[in-house]
Amino acid sequence: VKTVFLLTLCTGLALAQSAGRPEWKVPDDAASKPSPLSNKPELAAGGKKIFAKSCAVCHDAGEKQKGPHLASAVVQSETDGALFWKISNGNSRTGMPTFSSLPDAQRWQLVVYIRSLAAANQR
Amino acid sequence: MKIVFNYISLKSEFVFFYGDHMKIVCALVLLILALPLAAQETPYFVTYDHHMEEVGNLEISTQSTIGFQRQSQPNFLGQLAEFEYGIAGWWTSSIYLEGATQTDQAAVFTGFRLENRFKPLKSEHSINPLLYFEFEDINEATRIKKEVVGHAEPSDETLSELRGEKARELEAKLILSSNVKNWNISENFIVEKDLTQDEGYEFGYALGVYRPLSTLATGKDCRFCRENFAAGVEAYGGLGSTDQFGFTDTAQYVAPVLSWNIGNNSTLKISPGFGLTENSSRVLLRIGYTYEVNGFGRMIAHVFGGHQ
Repeated sequence: VKTVFLLTLCTGLALAQSAGRPEWKVPDDAASKPSPLSNKPELAAGGKKIFAKSCAVCHDAGEKQKGPHLASAVVQSETDGALFWKISNGNSRTGMPTFSSLPDAQRWQLVVYIRSLAAANQR
Repeated sequence: MKIVFNYISLKSEFVFFYGDHMKIVCALVLLILALPLAAQETPYFVTYDHHMEEVGNLEISTQSTIGFQRQSQPNFLGQLAEFEYGIAGWWTSSIYLEGATQTDQAAVFTGFRLENRFKPLKSEHSINPLLYFEFEDINEATRIKKEVVGHAEPSDETLSELRGEKARELEAKLILSSNVKNWNISENFIVEKDLTQDEGYEFGYALGVYRPLSTLATGKDCRFCRENFAAGVEAYGGLGSTDQFGFTDTAQYVAPVLSWNIGNNSTLKISPGFGLTENSSRVLLRIGYTYEVNGFGRMIAHVFGGHQ
């Protein structure tokens, strides 16, 4: 038991040490990637469903939310490609999970949904 | 936990499949169908991919392994309850409690396991490594076959006899996992050391591929949409030990896997595994149910007046 505890502690500390300050820079080629669904706003409904099950707990939890609201300027100023990359990669240092287990098309649907939030705000 | 203890108190046969228990199964199915819609959970039972538990979430799982044996060996049932918690984005920890029963024998508690998984790389890569460490305080009556390592040795001893044979083990896995064109491909390499016996190191592997049945999400709420299902196959088995490395006298399985996301936080999984060698069970039928409690850490912090 002692061995497991020490092993776990050492690995945990080593990883925590390497964590450093969270940085989350999107590579240029990923940021410039266009959305294949940008002309299909009707797919936002599917994106909304994925948002409800996978994202809302952090991004739509009122005062308790951990991530930024997706209609906020900081999110909306990102390119489609950057949003897709961040959804796909996550950031284990900030607690944002990777959603690469979702099919590509569903991640692009999330981007379509995020854009629809800005459109709804403008109305 | 309650499920396990009620369950392992049942004697020998797999009574939950028939008789009055059918009513309980029907009631559970109806309860499940009444839950709100859909989540994405890996369909694997043995193979691990690189996806970690979300920070602050608690995942409660139960898993049954029903073993149909060859010839004279008695059939068995292994039962497992898992509580998995996302401590950090790069650290997931779990505790397991397990029990077992066998044809014409009383059920026994077979021990507990503590597991930690670490994700050393921050973002997604073409191959994503994970490090896995587990401490097992179990006994030789264990039947869950959470992983298959070393050599497979048929035993004629009863569960109550095997229960007295302690097995404290350390296990490490290198998990490699990739997502390629909507497919997940995962490879696990396992090494295990029994601390109670001088058996050297035992080795094993698990490989898996799966993909969702639909890549686009429909806009409507639906329980039976293809997007709620994922299917694939996994292969796992022993690779011998430091005394004799290789496939000789090992158990090997190939198992189709299917998962169904039945609610926002619930997943049902099934996998019939087919034994490929004489030392394998004929069939290992695995059934699993997972429920995820979102924001569990936050709830606990709130109870104690703190912040997560």
